[in-house]
Amino acid sequence: MLSIKNITKKFHGKAIINDVSIDVMPGQIVVLLGQSGVGKSTILRVLSNLEQVDTGTIELDGASLDFKKVGMVFQDFNLFAHLTVLENLTLPLVSVAHVQPDQATKIAHEMLQRFNVASKASSYPMSLSGGQKQRVALARALCMQPKVLCLDEPTSALDPLLTSEVANIITQLAAQNIMIIIATHDIGLLENLSCIIYLMRDGKIVERATTDQLAQQPESFKFIKHFMQGKVVV
Amino acid sequence: MIDITIIQEYAPQFIAGIFLTLHIAIVSCCIGIIVGSFAGILLSQRVGIVRWLIMGYVTIIRGTPMLIQVAAMYYMLKFAGYSITAFWSAIISIGLNSGAYMSQIVLTGIKSVAKGQLEAAKVLGFSRHQTMWYIVLPQAVRAVIPAFGNELVTLVKDSSLASTIGVYELTKQGEIVMSQTFDAPTVYIVVGGIYLIITTILSLIVSWLDKKMQYHAQH
Repeated sequence: MLSIKNITKKFHGKAIINDVSIDVMPGQIVVLLGQSGVGKSTILRVLSNLEQVDTGTIELDGASLDFKKVGMVFQDFNLFAHLTVLENLTLPLVSVAHVQPDQATKIAHEMLQRFNVASKASSYPMSLSGGQKQRVALARALCMQPKVLCLDEPTSALDPLLTSEVANIITQLAAQNIMIIIATHDIGLLENLSCIIYLMRDGKIVERATTDQLAQQPESFKFIKHFMQGKVVV
Repeated sequence: MIDITIIQEYAPQFIAGIFLTLHIAIVSCCIGIIVGSFAGILLSQRVGIVRWLIMGYVTIIRGTPMLIQVAAMYYMLKFAGYSITAFWSAIISIGLNSGAYMSQIVLTGIKSVAKGQLEAAKVLGFSRHQTMWYIVLPQAVRAVIPAFGNELVTLVKDSSLASTIGVYELTKQGEIVMSQTFDAPTVYIVVGGIYLIITTILSLIVSWLDKKMQYHAQH
């Protein structure tokens, strides 16, 4: 289990994450929902060791979080522009995970086939569409076999059809017991997922609901409901 | 205006000058690339004292005439008791000069790599050295090829300053031919033309390389 307890992160004296606690079980999908700038992405950056918390703890299975077990798919994908799609996957496997090159190539090809981008193995990121980049970035992160997968605005560059496709992929990954944390403000993605929603505002979590709870008792979750309707509750 | 007989008669001198000019340019360029790469990488790492030392080196090189640097290197080494030929003294001073400019080119190239890619490398578990070697430098090199080409062309032209300390490169050979023939127009046109041909060929090679690498990165 991933246990985030009372974490706080300040930039220039202002709390971007303010006393946030979240638990994620294996196979669960957690969605951090909220407007831009409320701290969703910063939580993912903390989990990925790109930022350090000022206070609070993050534990994975009872021990301090080993960041090697966290995968991240960035909003802008951040594929290595000078490497082919295949090399984007094999380089971390060979250089970081010390997998033999032949084995790394085999793993990478399998992963690319799984995400339907095998035909792009020798292409460079610049020549890929947004959806293809998304899938390559996911494949690259999954090659490293993370226990926790962070997805930052995974559908911001995708059309509704591809959003639904990404939701299916995320559901499949969760079925493999990967803990998934998504930062998004895309309601379209939420509609295609079975997940736990945390609504954030000013660095704090203001409401928590599962998608089932939300479907059955929408009136009980006014912040989430209003956010999904495009209204702001003061 | 141009006396062809002079070109024919003194062709061996001009050819010897071309070879020496290319020799100086190639070796100086190698020194420049090595010094400039190290200096540029260290500058990007923001290590206090090292950064200040490199900034001092770059400031001195950029703030003083190259003619002074070439002469100062030769006479200071002689004064310090080092037995060094004018040829190698010229190579070292031109190489160090180029290194200072190359360091800024390399630094620009390193800074041109998107921050997001560095973050992706960190999340994937790359060490700082691995990130520099596998992610930053390959892209930085591609980004700086045009600037590197300009520096290479400048270096070829600057190699003529070696003539001031008695190295018999192309310019010096031209001066000798001129002192024997008193035909300044012919010699200057021939020597200038040879420099133009060399730098044009280099520019075309660098341009081809740049296009090839850009194409490679887009397909």
